[in-house]
Amino acid sequence: MTTLTAPPSSAPARAAADRRDNLRARRRRRLGWIADHAVGIALAIVFLSPFVFIVLQSLMTSAQALTGDLWPRSWHPENYVEVFTRAPMLTYLRNTLLYAGLATLLMLVSSIPAAYALSRLQWRGRTAALVVVLMMMMLPPQVTQVPIYVMWTNLHLTGTLWPLILPNLLGDAFSIFLLRQFFLTIPQEYADAARVDGCSEWRVMTRVVLPMAKSGIAATAMFLFFYCWNDFYGPLLYTSENPDNWTISLGLASFRNLYQVQWNLTMAATILAMIPVLVVFFLAQKVFVEGITLTGVKG
Amino acid sequence: MTIALATRSAGDRSSALRARQRRRRLTVLAFLTPWILGVLIFFVYPLVDTVYLSFTRYDLLSPPQWIGLRNYEFAFTKDPQVRQAAWNTLWLVVILVPARMLFGLAVATLVVRLKAGLGVFRTVFYLPALVPPVAGVLAFVFLFNPATGPVNQILGALGLPQPLWFNDPALSKPSLVLLGLWGVGDLMIIFLASLLDVPREQYEAAALDGVNPWQRLRYVTLPSISPVLMFAAITGVIAALQYFTEAVVAASVASGQATTGGGNAALLGYPEGSTLTYAQWLYVMGFKNYYLGYASALAVVMFVVSLGVTLVLLRRSRSLVQGAEGTR
Amino acid sequence: MNTTRGRRRALALTAAAVGLTLLATGCSSPGSTTTPPSSSAPAKLTGTVTFWHFFTDREAKAIQTAVDAFEAANPGVKVDVKSGQDDEKTIQAIAAGQPIDVVLSYSTDQIGKFCSTGAWQDLTPYVARDKIDVGQIPAVPRDYTQFDGKRCSMPALSDAYGLYYNKKMLADAGYSEPPKTLSELTAMAEKITQRDGAGAIKVAGFVPSFGFYENAAAHFAPSFGATWFKADGTSNIGSDPGWASMLTWQKQLVDFYGYDKLQRFTAGLGQEFSADNAFEKGKVAMIIDGEYRNAFIKAEAPSLDYGTAPFPTADDKTDLYGGGYVTGNVIGIGRGSQNPEAAWALIKFLSTDTATVVALSNGIKNIPTWTPALQSPDLDKDPTYSPFLDIFANAHSATTPTTASGKAYQDTLGAFAEKWQAGKVADLQAGLAQVDQQIDDQLSLGAAP
Repeated sequence: MTTLTAPPSSAPARAAADRRDNLRARRRRRLGWIADHAVGIALAIVFLSPFVFIVLQSLMTSAQALTGDLWPRSWHPENYVEVFTRAPMLTYLRNTLLYAGLATLLMLVSSIPAAYALSRLQWRGRTAALVVVLMMMMLPPQVTQVPIYVMWTNLHLTGTLWPLILPNLLGDAFSIFLLRQFFLTIPQEYADAARVDGCSEWRVMTRVVLPMAKSGIAATAMFLFFYCWNDFYGPLLYTSENPDNWTISLGLASFRNLYQVQWNLTMAATILAMIPVLVVFFLAQKVFVEGITLTGVKG
Repeated sequence: MTIALATRSAGDRSSALRARQRRRRLTVLAFLTPWILGVLIFFVYPLVDTVYLSFTRYDLLSPPQWIGLRNYEFAFTKDPQVRQAAWNTLWLVVILVPARMLFGLAVATLVVRLKAGLGVFRTVFYLPALVPPVAGVLAFVFLFNPATGPVNQILGALGLPQPLWFNDPALSKPSLVLLGLWGVGDLMIIFLASLLDVPREQYEAAALDGVNPWQRLRYVTLPSISPVLMFAAITGVIAALQYFTEAVVAASVASGQATTGGGNAALLGYPEGSTLTYAQWLYVMGFKNYYLGYASALAVVMFVVSLGVTLVLLRRSRSLVQGAEGTR
Repeated sequence: MNTTRGRRRALALTAAAVGLTLLATGCSSPGSTTTPPSSSAPAKLTGTVTFWHFFTDREAKAIQTAVDAFEAANPGVKVDVKSGQDDEKTIQAIAAGQPIDVVLSYSTDQIGKFCSTGAWQDLTPYVARDKIDVGQIPAVPRDYTQFDGKRCSMPALSDAYGLYYNKKMLADAGYSEPPKTLSELTAMAEKITQRDGAGAIKVAGFVPSFGFYENAAAHFAPSFGATWFKADGTSNIGSDPGWASMLTWQKQLVDFYGYDKLQRFTAGLGQEFSADNAFEKGKVAMIIDGEYRNAFIKAEAPSLDYGTAPFPTADDKTDLYGGGYVTGNVIGIGRGSQNPEAAWALIKFLSTDTATVVALSNGIKNIPTWTPALQSPDLDKDPTYSPFLDIFANAHSATTPTTASGKAYQDTLGAFAEKWQAGKVADLQAGLAQVDQQIDDQLSLGAAP
């Protein structure tokens, strides 16, 4: 970006050339800025359009929803109120927070050390262990759920969210893999320096590596949180018989009759379900920004 | 586990080196203990169970009966739909995964350069990944409705051909790829996080060397984010092999039978089986037709294929990963 | 090195032990003891009955009203209702040994499986003891609720399929009566169809495409008297001329529109279960659909001038006129039931108490499966609904058979039919023979080794 090469010539000519170059560079930068943002805005519009569709659907009458008629003939913001009267959305919200929050917390506690051992500690069998992590993702969940469901039934925990939360205490393969990859991008020297200073491995991890991997950890946590937030088949399998433990995703599917879905309410509830995660995402972005400054300062 | 280790300690020579080695091994073990338990309960146990069931006739409701290799024989010689399902899935692995990676990287690179409204852009690009899948797919398919969707209306206004998208057996899978590109936010975020983690001094050093943008991408950016690229490739392949919900919802909406909860369309893989994926067929055979033994055999085959592809990817990228580590 | 290996072995052993313990817990057989009923019905019922069903919202309320009436009649019994339960999940819960007393399911196709595996308890002894007159259950549901002489379920309402026709569109084309044969249907459909200048379809008389709304081979089959299986249990699709006749008729009408034109037309039609339904919008003059469509028309297109009738029959099968496709819900006792007596009492109440069945039918807008309820003056009837009651009671009505592989055979034929209508099948008979082979192969996979 920065133009550091200047033609070697007489001083005044060089100053003039510098000015010209600066001007040209600035103009080029401004054009680049405009081009980047134009592409960004165009892309943003495309990305937003399905979302706009959902918002418009949520403001229609039940009779107009899901017809080819995409613009509401009349506006019904009261759909958002009706969602609350028709279903205990706050209970669903609490359960979803409980599920996603606890699952994410437990995942971090168990998966960070595992990912650390898989990326930053030297031991025999490390590659094999990594392959096992990957293999854990390869069995289709539709099949593995059968024996696991029987296990939770025998433990009398079906009907609760625990079968979805507790496994995270024993590590989540996707998260371990993602964390490992992020840990790999952190230069080894910092950790080595701390080890020479006599820090225990636990301290090296918590004091040196984790702060530098903040953005990766934030991304991993967010992924699991959002996954749990939108998880439909898990809650369907384990808690559908107990409405007290329903999550929002199950609640979304509840605005239906035998043959027909009330799409306007479903879409309004969809928007409501998205607001909390959107807020979380918008705030969590700061962590990424911090990510730059940290690695930028050290060096 | 600790007990087992303690009993073994008798008879060890007590040299300082050995003690340190042991401590290191204990550290590794301590770091890994929860995960090892997880492997046993949530991987080894279901895997053993699945492999066993794949040799049985099992309908979930009565005890499994040993039938040897019959399930595998049926899968490879007789099953009328599994071939098409496997082909569709393979197609998605080959096209969808690279397309999403390239696009995700492109969007992430763009976002890094955006100065104004950074937070808003990031959120907007990530938004589709936040939408609950059924609502998101439904919205997307509606926008591509051949008659009433805005996409074709715009194409029509421009005098361009108006394809049938999700209703055309030749275009339904490419349409699913477009859907996958729309939901690229998850990849964009991890690429972005790792792009931002590339030490700035490396870029400055590159700038001093006067490299062009392409060289900068090739020799600075890609090597230092290669672990994350490998992550995207491997999880992408695994996910594509298990691709299921989006295809089912898209097919049911396109065939005019949208419901919540992802019910199957009247015709599997509408149109003309072009969106029937391997995982969907596995699910239909296992839980609609109650051939759970057969579904287990399909799962074992899928597992072996996933493992094979992953090992190849790992071997290919090892040089890259180690290269990245080596430079540090 | 030795020590390392030793340790690793110890670790592996511990791991294996943990694994085995888990396997042991995992594989413990679900508690399933079918207790034979006592010789006489208990005078007073007590305890709790868990009742899983799939209805939601308005329909769930109708069920709840019936359950409340049951509780009022049996003060000692409390019914724990779990509404909106997905069928597949419920079956998995039963398989895992959960104590579910009463199950209401839409998986009529799976009754064979439920009966033969004992997942649903045999009700025959209860029916005999309490002298339930199963003759009061119309023939088709009487048949699909049992398997191999074992009655392991009772019917709980049903759907019947017939023809819906738009009176105004028919009149505009010069017709006053609905078609009775398929050649009449084809002729009327061709006359009603309108195209624009470029030849694109604007309005269709009848859309023949498989996969469109309720168009399915199973729903058309009664009009051709087509049967799925031979007496020996093998597929009959290649041998029964009804199927070839159905596909030939269908393809002829597809070709009248042109397959590509038809695809473009249907791709632009509204969702089946929305106010954009093509029949309700007047874009299609005739459709095949279940009796429930009446309720939607009332709600979404109240001004639509339409009539209903049995679906037309093949020209050489006019004696079948009046019948149609019938399917329904089934109710039974789960294998792990803790309170089978009270469970049976609830089932008996929901399926054979005339007032309850009438109230449920009126509430859910499905057809009663109990003859006294069908004849009850309290049953809501209007001119567009009654034809479905007649179809339901007609001797030529039929449903899809239950097999060891659920509805896999229907999917197999469906996949073939979709290729057929696209013009990708050269030899129909050879293709149908292949379908036979595929279905037989599939069945043999589920047969005892």
